[in-house]
Amino acid sequence: MSLLKIENLTKRYGEIAALDDVSLALAPGEFFGLLGPNGAGKTTLMSLVVGLRTPDAGEIFLAGQPFNQRRLEQRAVIGFVPQSIALYDDLSALENLRLFGSLCGLSGRLLQERVEEGLRAVQLFDRRRADVKTFSGGMRRRLNIVAAILHRPRLLLCDEPTVGVDPQSRNAIFEYLERLNAEGMTIVYSTHYMEEATRLCSRIGIIDHGKMLALGTLDDLLQELPEGEQIRIARHEETSAALVRLREFGEIKETDEAFFLTPRVGRPLSEFFTAVEALQLPYRYFQITRPTLEQLFLHLTGKTLRDS
Amino acid sequence: MRQIFLLVGKELRLFVKDRSALALTFVIPVVLIYIFGYVFGVNQSGTSGPTGIPLAVVNPENSATAQAIVAALEKEKSFRVVRTAKDAKETEHVLTEAEVRQQMQNGSLRFALVFPGEEADNAFGVHVRFLNNPRNEIETQMVTGLVQKTIFTAAPQAVFQSLQKQATRAVGAPTMSAFNHNLAGAIAQAFGGDVAAIEKKIGQGDVGLSNQAPNDKASATGNFLDKLIKIDSEQVGVRQVKNPEATRTVGGWAMMFLLFSMSGAATSLFDEKKAGIFQRLLSTPVRRTHILWSKYLVGVIVGLVQLLVLFTAGHFLFGIDVTSNLGNLVLVCLAASIACVAFGMLLAAISPTAAAANGLGTFLILTMSAVGGAWFPTSFMPEFIQHLSRLTIVYWAIDGFLRVLYVGGNFVSLLPSIGVLLGVAAVVTAISVWRFNRGQIFD
Repeated sequence: MSLLKIENLTKRYGEIAALDDVSLALAPGEFFGLLGPNGAGKTTLMSLVVGLRTPDAGEIFLAGQPFNQRRLEQRAVIGFVPQSIALYDDLSALENLRLFGSLCGLSGRLLQERVEEGLRAVQLFDRRRADVKTFSGGMRRRLNIVAAILHRPRLLLCDEPTVGVDPQSRNAIFEYLERLNAEGMTIVYSTHYMEEATRLCSRIGIIDHGKMLALGTLDDLLQELPEGEQIRIARHEETSAALVRLREFGEIKETDEAFFLTPRVGRPLSEFFTAVEALQLPYRYFQITRPTLEQLFLHLTGKTLRDS
Repeated sequence: MRQIFLLVGKELRLFVKDRSALALTFVIPVVLIYIFGYVFGVNQSGTSGPTGIPLAVVNPENSATAQAIVAALEKEKSFRVVRTAKDAKETEHVLTEAEVRQQMQNGSLRFALVFPGEEADNAFGVHVRFLNNPRNEIETQMVTGLVQKTIFTAAPQAVFQSLQKQATRAVGAPTMSAFNHNLAGAIAQAFGGDVAAIEKKIGQGDVGLSNQAPNDKASATGNFLDKLIKIDSEQVGVRQVKNPEATRTVGGWAMMFLLFSMSGAATSLFDEKKAGIFQRLLSTPVRRTHILWSKYLVGVIVGLVQLLVLFTAGHFLFGIDVTSNLGNLVLVCLAASIACVAFGMLLAAISPTAAAANGLGTFLILTMSAVGGAWFPTSFMPEFIQHLSRLTIVYWAIDGFLRVLYVGGNFVSLLPSIGVLLGVAAVVTAISVWRFNRGQIFD
């Protein structure tokens, strides 16, 4: 049974369809990535699932039950990490977590344990008594996540949780989320960074202008590209000289740094590498590269994620 | 220099685009000046000063002297002379002293002039009692002065008219006429003037004392008038308050600051929305109403404590007696806090931004404070402003404070003030909740 099932969800703001007939089903334990540019509809989708807004059409099911935002026990199943750092600046990390944990029904020793565990997990235990306003952006982001998972929700929705975060904090957040997912928590992670979706998510939905353009595992999605793997050939005197021979195996595109060979359909790669050996070219000049989500997004929308 | 001009241009563009700033800079000051002009009575010359202060008159014998004084009081725009009352069957009857005292006890009347029952045309001089409920020291002093002025202006002629009648009855009209004629001749000879005109004035009781200052002890006429006209002042319906003006002032200013505090607290809703706090809260088992009621309760607690702290400060600084009727003072403070929090919530509910809420709040609070009597008594204001003042929570809170601290009123006597404050709070809160549920503050 799906933990979260969305059927034909639509939300309009005046004339603009922020979400247009979107359907989705998440199995327990999935790490689902919602990839799309700013304004694609990611936040709207999350706010509907959390119950912050009501859809104009469609239905949401949580653990098989129709989702009703008035049913507070259903909200307890969900944890939400908003895009903004929704913490009280003038309260300490400890006070913030105690408050949000208590609001989710925790108390006493269990609350204390969860708070301390969360603070240790994101390396903030030593700063637990400091006011949040004294924290760096990365520290706030980490605390922002902990505040959402104290009650151990079955479903965690993270709305671009690494915006404006330094690489070190970003890695800490990734590791923490991966650990939570490994412990069984289902995670929906919205981002406009394809690298994040590629690294974290077992399944990805690509969304733009309120429509779900593609949905599946990374491999499934990349299958949709007309071109598969490419061979990157380092630009070198020896490789440049061998280009005429190598063109027999596929189309070659040139850049300032390298050549990219897209193998012809039906031509096994083993024949290519036999030829490389015959030309006595070292293997270090060659690298098989997978197509990227960026290419897929370009293929689906005609624009790059960064352009968007 | 060019950079300065560029930056000046930028500042002006931002200023012109900011509607709240424009309103706060130009519109609100003009409107407040207009309102305060009315409050202070400076909008039209000749209409300044208090008008229509109720002044009860108990005049059982209705002597000629009393009639003259009452007629003079009725001409005075500061007063609205009350001579009758209606009973349970709506039948109008002449006011009695007992009724007046009762009304002064419950605060519905603050001033009364009682002419003695034995006062008659055959008595010489005037002896009245001025009953006052000095809830407001400034107002009482001013009304006392006005009453004295009116009496001392109108009474001498009436007294001498009475004297003429008594003398005529005693010695006969011809003798009295001859006496007046001789007296007029003596005056004309000593000071000049037309004998016939002086004789006519003497006959009308006008002996030239009407314009003498009543307390001019340096003059012989001042001393004479003091003996001729006696006004006994008596406080009714109040406890002996050590510093009466401070009591009203502290209550009024406390209300104004409470309103500012509560509007500030309510506009913090905008800060929490901006920070995304509501998204987080509403994703947990928390409803919008939980958020609103938590704000409400905190506001009421802080407001109650703030009022009590300010009254305690008034106790130590000005000797206000807050302890002898503490329970009822807490009740009024609680009702006032609830009303102020409701006002703050309404501001947040109807304003699109924090800046707009602050601008609107400043305007409304200053207006309500001025009109509601936080700065000075409403009776000093034009009559229509006095009617408007009853629409403000400041007026009803001050009314409640005065009932507690001056009259030493019990719970029942406080019900009108508390009832209005809580009623206003209930209506305003209902509107706020309705607006919050349809507005965007929780989106």
